[in-house]
Amino acid sequence: MKTVFVRPERCIGCRHCEIACAVEHSRSKDLFGAFFEDPRPAPRIHVEPGVDFLTFPNKCRHCEPAPCMEVCPTGALYRDEETGSVLVNYDKCIACAMCAMVCPFDIISFRKVWHIKFLKTVNYKCDHCVDRQRDGKEPACVEACKTGALVFGEVNDIIRSSRRDFTLRTTMALQGEEAPELPESIVTFREIMKKVAHLGPLG
Amino acid sequence: MDVKIVKEIVDMRTIDEAAKEILEKAISEGVETAWDRLEAQQPQCGFGQLGVCCNRCAMGPCRIAPFEDEGPKRGVCGATADTIVARNLLDDLLVGAAAHSDHGREIVEVLLKTAEGKSQGYEILDVEKLKHLAGEYGIATDGRSKEEIARDLALAMLEEFGTIKNRIQFAETRPPEKTRETWKKVGIVPRSVDREIVEAAHRVHMGVDADYVNILLHALRTSLSDGWGGSMMATEISDVLFGTPKPVEAYVNLGVLKKDMVNIILHGHNPVLSMMIVKAASDPSLVEYARSKGAAGINLAGMCCTGNEILMRQGVPIAGNMLNQELAIATGAVEAMIIDYQCIFPSITFTAGCYHTKIISTSEKAKVPGAVHMEFHPETALDTAREIIKLAIDNFPNRNPDRVKIPSKPIKMMAGFSYEVIKQALGGSFKPLIEAIASGKIKGAVGIVGCNNPKVKQDYGHVTLAKELIKRNILVVETGCAAIASGKAGLLLPEAADLAGEDLASVVRSLGIPPVLHMGSCVDCSRILVLLADIAKEMGVAISDLPVAGAAPEWYSQKAISIGAYFVASGVFTVLGLPPKILGSPNVTKLLTEGVEGVVGGKFAVEPDPVKAADIIEAHIEKKRKALGI
Repeated sequence: MKTVFVRPERCIGCRHCEIACAVEHSRSKDLFGAFFEDPRPAPRIHVEPGVDFLTFPNKCRHCEPAPCMEVCPTGALYRDEETGSVLVNYDKCIACAMCAMVCPFDIISFRKVWHIKFLKTVNYKCDHCVDRQRDGKEPACVEACKTGALVFGEVNDIIRSSRRDFTLRTTMALQGEEAPELPESIVTFREIMKKVAHLGPLG
Repeated sequence: MDVKIVKEIVDMRTIDEAAKEILEKAISEGVETAWDRLEAQQPQCGFGQLGVCCNRCAMGPCRIAPFEDEGPKRGVCGATADTIVARNLLDDLLVGAAAHSDHGREIVEVLLKTAEGKSQGYEILDVEKLKHLAGEYGIATDGRSKEEIARDLALAMLEEFGTIKNRIQFAETRPPEKTRETWKKVGIVPRSVDREIVEAAHRVHMGVDADYVNILLHALRTSLSDGWGGSMMATEISDVLFGTPKPVEAYVNLGVLKKDMVNIILHGHNPVLSMMIVKAASDPSLVEYARSKGAAGINLAGMCCTGNEILMRQGVPIAGNMLNQELAIATGAVEAMIIDYQCIFPSITFTAGCYHTKIISTSEKAKVPGAVHMEFHPETALDTAREIIKLAIDNFPNRNPDRVKIPSKPIKMMAGFSYEVIKQALGGSFKPLIEAIASGKIKGAVGIVGCNNPKVKQDYGHVTLAKELIKRNILVVETGCAAIASGKAGLLLPEAADLAGEDLASVVRSLGIPPVLHMGSCVDCSRILVLLADIAKEMGVAISDLPVAGAAPEWYSQKAISIGAYFVASGVFTVLGLPPKILGSPNVTKLLTEGVEGVVGGKFAVEPDPVKAADIIEAHIEKKRKALGI
């Protein structure tokens, strides 16, 4: 199964993924058009600030089995067999929030969407960009991410690649070679911002 | 919100006790402040913070991925992280230099109009200084009226904004010979005020300067045209028009507002406006008018650097520094906040909308939606000042006494330490100071300058660093929001000698001065330059040889970048409390924190923790002392 894999150490909080997601789920699929739509499209991925100015892009993991699907009383949540994604039938959703209560990642929230005529609030979580996937494209958030914090692919392939990196670093370290996991600029930046966080109101 | 939680939030945001009281009030009344907006802005874009975002042309916006194996490494035009970071820094710096210098130009223009008899309310107050400056500019003074001299001086200075003269007088004669030699060798002697700024704007255009070293050298030259040009003119001509500051006692913090009086806050930077308001406010007919509206009188209070200008010269109390601006309104006791420009939150009218406060904008170049605009011109300055005050008085009956809260304890402070005063206090020569430094009684001196930034607990960076330094027998001089912070913390009093190391305490006690000296507004950082230059000249060394340093623990503004750069270019080691947006280029970072020292003698360091900043400053001072053999 293909998934959006998160490498949080690479997230620098630019929120590019949020904008790309909102545009992708707008009626016009255009940044400038999306701005004038009602309801205004919203991102389904959330780059939240954590401690020390670090961030984590949080979104639906499309669990299998999915707790949200298990508890949905109206059967609004269902699985797209082709991509393995958990999707929402907005017509059936009654915004009871049972799904949100059991979601292990707390990423379900409710708003109005343009996709249905009846303007009620519904679970508008990540749909894994199934339309894009069918066209052979990556999800919009992954395409927008320029730091490699979000990668799309077969989960085991991604992990294999990370594992290879780990092995490389470990063996280099054994040979006394310097093998930094992150570039020096990022390390320096995070060290400084950690201090700022601890001394300021955002700590 | 729970009272305990509110107290916790407030304690995280500021160490200013008076501000805490009003911040609690603001939170309970749902009034938004910069701290709330900073929180709402989290997370802030990493590309922007690293300086690798370029939003200059329509092929972009572009950004350089900071991770080696992933993402674009060049903008559409081909610019690398080094080019983009250097260009962005130059762009920020030129804005800061322009802000200072445009402020300076306005003051020189007022001098010209005053000399020509075209201004209203202004006079040439410090004739001695006028003659001294005329001497520096080679302008004849014998047998000439002060107006004639002032006219020639103003024109000579205005010429230095243009490109015909190709030199800036102060930058020619004021720095020590060795410092000037360095500038010449490196090719960064400033040619004119506007020219360097315009050229900087040219260089950041696509397809002009792509070499980060070349870009940064021009950044240094532009900063010198500010420090030894625009800012220095602003300081000197303000002194000519309004008097050179002398030691004054005054009160500081939000507690300077008065319950029974018409409170007027003067916020911004240029004394051209605020000094006229001060003049008009003493008009008996206006005081009488205030009484007729039920007030006991008119109470003026400063805010930010225009506050420093009127504090230094007239002892007008100061309500606070940058992060106090919204809180002043939230006291519910301010009838009018008069603004000129720089560091005024665009949301200030929104804040004022929660109370009866009127925001009055006065500069043609700084309008704020929702403000009453009463444009200020030198020709009609005093009339406009009176009208503004009248409008504030008319607003007094609209105050809701049930929503007023004024902190009870304003803090006493001493300000007014101009270059001239310091020299005079030392008996007319810097020799005693040099002797005190040589003997180790004063280990060195540090200029703490710059702003507030809500990312740092308000005043904590300034006050902690100042306390740490004086404890280590290092004399501190301050300007801008840093100086106001020290005022609020009680460090600008001779009694603060108790917090200083024994040696420094004995020196400042014998002179009857505080261990932390308030030297003025942010353009008055130029006073620090002149002080450093004359000490270095007296010792026959370069500024970079002196056991001194600069610090900007809570900086936020582009002006601070220009100040930091002209200190570094003049040879001063400068420690910043927050990182400039350069870390996305290890080359630029390395050049500014290491390489540049070998070129101009000064360099930058970044250290958010003020105690650790004091450690590295002390180590630097020790190194310089050793090199001097003292």
